[in-house]
Amino acid sequence: MVSLDASQMTTRELNSQIKELAANGTGKITISNPAARHNIAVGILTECEIEIEGSVGYYVATLLDGPRIKIDGNAGWALGENMMSGSISLTKSAGASVAASMRGGEMFIGGDAGARAGISMKGGTLIIGGDSGFLTGFMMQKGRIIVCGDVGDAAGDSMYEGTIYCGGEVGTLGADAKIEESTEGELIEIWSLLEANGISERPHFRKIVSQKNLYHYDEQERHERPLI
Amino acid sequence: MVLGSNQIWAPWVVDDIHAKADLGRYRIRGMSTHQKVTHFDDLTFLSTGLTRFPLEGYKEQCNTAVSLGGLNAENPLELDIPIYITGMSWGALSANAKTALGKAASMAGTASCTGDGGMLPAEREASDKLIYQVLPSRYGLNPNHMATAQAIEIVVGQGAKPGTGGLLMGVKVQDDVAISRDLPVGVDQRSPARHPDWLGPDDLAIKIEQLREATDWKVPIHVKLGACRVADDVKLAAKAGADGIVIDSMVAGTGASAEILLDHSGIPTVPAIVLAREALREIGLYRKVSLIASGGIRNGADVAKALALGADACAIGVAALIALNCNRDIPESNFEEEIGLPAGSCNRCHTGKCPVGIATQDPELTKRLDPDEGAERVANFLNSMTMELALLTRSLGKGDVKSLEPEDLAALTIEASIMAQVPLVGTNKVFGN
Ligand SMILES: Cc1cc2nc3c(=O)[nH]c(=O)nc-3n(C[C@H](O)[C@H](O)[C@H](O)COP(=O)(O)O)c2cc1C
Ligand code: SF4
Repeated sequence: MVSLDASQMTTRELNSQIKELAANGTGKITISNPAARHNIAVGILTECEIEIEGSVGYYVATLLDGPRIKIDGNAGWALGENMMSGSISLTKSAGASVAASMRGGEMFIGGDAGARAGISMKGGTLIIGGDSGFLTGFMMQKGRIIVCGDVGDAAGDSMYEGTIYCGGEVGTLGADAKIEESTEGELIEIWSLLEANGISERPHFRKIVSQKNLYHYDEQERHERPLI
Repeated sequence: MVLGSNQIWAPWVVDDIHAKADLGRYRIRGMSTHQKVTHFDDLTFLSTGLTRFPLEGYKEQCNTAVSLGGLNAENPLELDIPIYITGMSWGALSANAKTALGKAASMAGTASCTGDGGMLPAEREASDKLIYQVLPSRYGLNPNHMATAQAIEIVVGQGAKPGTGGLLMGVKVQDDVAISRDLPVGVDQRSPARHPDWLGPDDLAIKIEQLREATDWKVPIHVKLGACRVADDVKLAAKAGADGIVIDSMVAGTGASAEILLDHSGIPTVPAIVLAREALREIGLYRKVSLIASGGIRNGADVAKALALGADACAIGVAALIALNCNRDIPESNFEEEIGLPAGSCNRCHTGKCPVGIATQDPELTKRLDPDEGAERVANFLNSMTMELALLTRSLGKGDVKSLEPEDLAALTIEASIMAQVPLVGTNKVFGN
């Protein structure tokens, strides 16, 4: 295990050290004093274990392929953006756009998530222990979002595929979204995922999916204007 | 009623209303705007005479190399010529077309750029210098691919459809293209207009830092803007930390756009370059932050004029497609039957039925474009443009394209004088100054 004190280095130095340690096969990297700094642990493409002791700013743990990251605190915008594989676990709440465009792996948010949680998500699983904000799952393409509490307004707006599970109340539905009942199999799977993340309650989850009415323009072009 | 002579209800206006009355929605097409705008043809070079002497056209060296995005990047984008192939998505274009463009760029010593659909591995292999786009949709965005790029381009907007996201009709969202974008097969893809993880210029500054961290501060981070409120946008992008700014004008090409946006939004290339130049000058970053112009660049004269007005390089889209055989009556094609228009009039990239195998995902049509032959033609075209550019530069008495300046130009119309901020021919007057 290697400990890095963020207060003693620039973000650039910190990231290059993390990458070097990860590439050298260091089992676990601990980062102290993150002081809500942006862009910590960005672009790491090898498997490793990172623990961040404190709250972090924007774009922390983003563009990752492989690392398993634990953060003890809150996070700013775009936590875990475009993660390909691996895992992120945050003890408290996340700001807007958590898991934006995430493509794989698993993310767990202990507290609430802000607006646009799981926006443009393309795969993987995002679990939110508390509530999620406005436009959750906006233009989501694949994957699943599990919100134990309430989901804010415009939920699932313009989503293509993927599923948002909601254990509480749904504000308003977004364009082309609909609510369905979850199957027993889905519920059992969700509950076991929650249990693995330390949540013992078993709320009943309904799911938000696409109505697929926006999949196609109603009419395809018949007339064209020539170039000249 | 003789509509042919009526300015307001011209035949194409009548046809347009009929089409929309049938369709019930806005119309979509490829290529570029039909508006008549001030363009590079409205400018002319003031070559040498007795006030200065020319360089020999064939013998004396003319340096065409440029270095882009060196403000913060350890490895700026070094190009042998100030022209590169713009971002056109694999999806809008066939894999053969993307591969050919990448290969042509390498043959000509320049770069190609990915597009709104992720990186095609064959393009990566073919292209020595690949610019990797980060778009609002994030289709196919893979940090492993990003790590191999020679530059990153954050797309805020495109000149052909500023303020909106990409469009790809379902007929082109097939097989590998659908898989790469994580979309259901056959869906009419309407990409988001806003980035999922940032909204304003303050966030953009953090986003740029993120991409720098992801690429170890090695490669330039550029920002592409659709040319609208150019002065403000350029200043904000530069202040956010962009190493280079691509200003893409209203005449820029597209694989598919709502016609109403193509024709009724944005500003032309000439004033866009001048506004961008002045904006950068105002904040002390002119020639520090690279300026790349795109939209309607067709030959070496257009490139020379863009550079003289203040651009560091140009990016080309439609011109490269035409070099690939777009709108050419090749033996395998039957334009009238296959796409309903004669070769030379086609703007139907969005239909996926491209008769020359460029803007299609149909495996049979794709075969009509041989990537090696296509690469040869595009490389020839890039070399021709570069020769034209060098010829003009030498005729102005200059041995480096970077020495081209507004002083070398005059305007043929009052509008061009105002927009380009150069004197009207026959006068010493810069109109509107
Ligand atoms: C077929 C086609 C596909 C395009 N796809 C993209 C794209 O994926 N991303 C993007 O930023 N711009 C895209 N563009 C716009 C070009 O990057 C560029 O801005 C434009 O082509 C420049 O104008 P020009 O074609 O007149 O040279 C596309 C253009 C064309 C013609
Ligand atoms: S020939 Fe192909 S590439 Fe050219 S305009 Fe027509 S469809 Fe587009």
